Amino acid sequence: MNLCAILLLLAFTTPSWGKDIEAFPDLNLNNPHELKEATRVLEEELKLAARPQTYLLIDLGGSMIHIKGRGIGLHQIPIIAWASGSRENLKGIHRLVARPSVVRRKIEPGAGVEQEPISLVDMPTDYVLSFSPSLSVTVVPSVSSDSLLQSVVLLGKVGWRNMKDWTSGLLTHRSSEPMSHLRLTLSVDHTQSLAWSLVDGMALVIRRPTDK
Amino acid sequence: MGRILLATSAVVLLLLLVVVSAPTPSRVAPEHSQAVHQPAIQDKVDLRTLQARYKVLSKQLSQLMPHQPYILVDTARNRLYVKQQEQVVLDAIASTGSGTILDKPGEGKNQWIFDTPRGEFLVKSKLTNPTWIKPDWAFVEEGLAVPQNAADRAEQGVLGEYALGFGKGYFIHGTLYTRLLGKNVTHGCIRLNDSDLKGVYKLARVGTPIMIF
Repeated sequence: MNLCAILLLLAFTTPSWGKDIEAFPDLNLNNPHELKEATRVLEEELKLAARPQTYLLIDLGGSMIHIKGRGIGLHQIPIIAWASGSRENLKGIHRLVARPSVVRRKIEPGAGVEQEPISLVDMPTDYVLSFSPSLSVTVVPSVSSDSLLQSVVLLGKVGWRNMKDWTSGLLTHRSSEPMSHLRLTLSVDHTQSLAWSLVDGMALVIRRPTDK
Repeated sequence: MGRILLATSAVVLLLLLVVVSAPTPSRVAPEHSQAVHQPAIQDKVDLRTLQARYKVLSKQLSQLMPHQPYILVDTARNRLYVKQQEQVVLDAIASTGSGTILDKPGEGKNQWIFDTPRGEFLVKSKLTNPTWIKPDWAFVEEGLAVPQNAADRAEQGVLGEYALGFGKGYFIHGTLYTRLLGKNVTHGCIRLNDSDLKGVYKLARVGTPIMIF
């Protein structure tokens, strides 16, 4: 009896026991397709959260990019719009090959002139992120006067990258994996914020929406 | 008469056979309803299994989250928070890495990059009245020769009253240049004003996680 009372007390006083933390609060628990996708993502995320690192979770259903560590949401970036090719290839853990490049200012020794530091405004607003295994994520800003030109330029970039991958696959005689694409439209500030927060080798998991 | 009776009996028998062999709704219905109900019951079981799995995984994920206070640093906006689960215990304006570069003399293309490292770290040391042991870049940046004597590297009173080390020479420490708080101006360390530094020092222990993004 006493043991039961202690266990009950513990259940209500220990934070992780007393409170059910929902990984995806928007999840419809009566939709088996949503549940299957959520459990798949959680299984992947558990592997990432078990290690000391920050990682990305792109929640296409919830239209949000989460920067996370140990399962905690550190920062959120809203997605305005997104598009993808085959959703089947968006499964699994992907690793960022390289973060977007930024022009860094060089300190001249002894010059006594303080160099202007890098800030968010120095970060690019449209860029293509390459992940391994084969995934490219195109990030574009939502507001742009020359959006048509920008789209053409971005399309060219993606096409050029695919061709390079294909030719290098031919030259090295390795079987080229099918490249998956994801295009994210964010606000200008958020494109820069995302570029800032990325780290080489950063892991990515994508939660795909389910057709209802 | 006998023939008529025989014929009538045959017709009745035939009719009976037809009636008996014909699928009646009462016979078909249970089979049909069973065919519908079986997957429905299976679906319900599957759904419950999925729901249970989802709850278990959510719980496992929440168990990986730090249940003690942790430090969160936003290098883009130069903010430092001490959080306990979802609650913000301390919110401070900080200064983080400038992102500038400096050539390493005599090392070809090797450079120092003054970024605050991103990722997860732990508080490894807690110091009071820390002495700054100036690294090579501090002399190179000023155009000075790097001293051979270790004692020439020590500088007192520039890091504030406390410092929390999180590895590879990076610290959360104080500053004399409080007007620069909120800007990316450091060589990778995280600077705070005196009162915020004291608060962080009190809340953090050796082993407290530091999440930097």
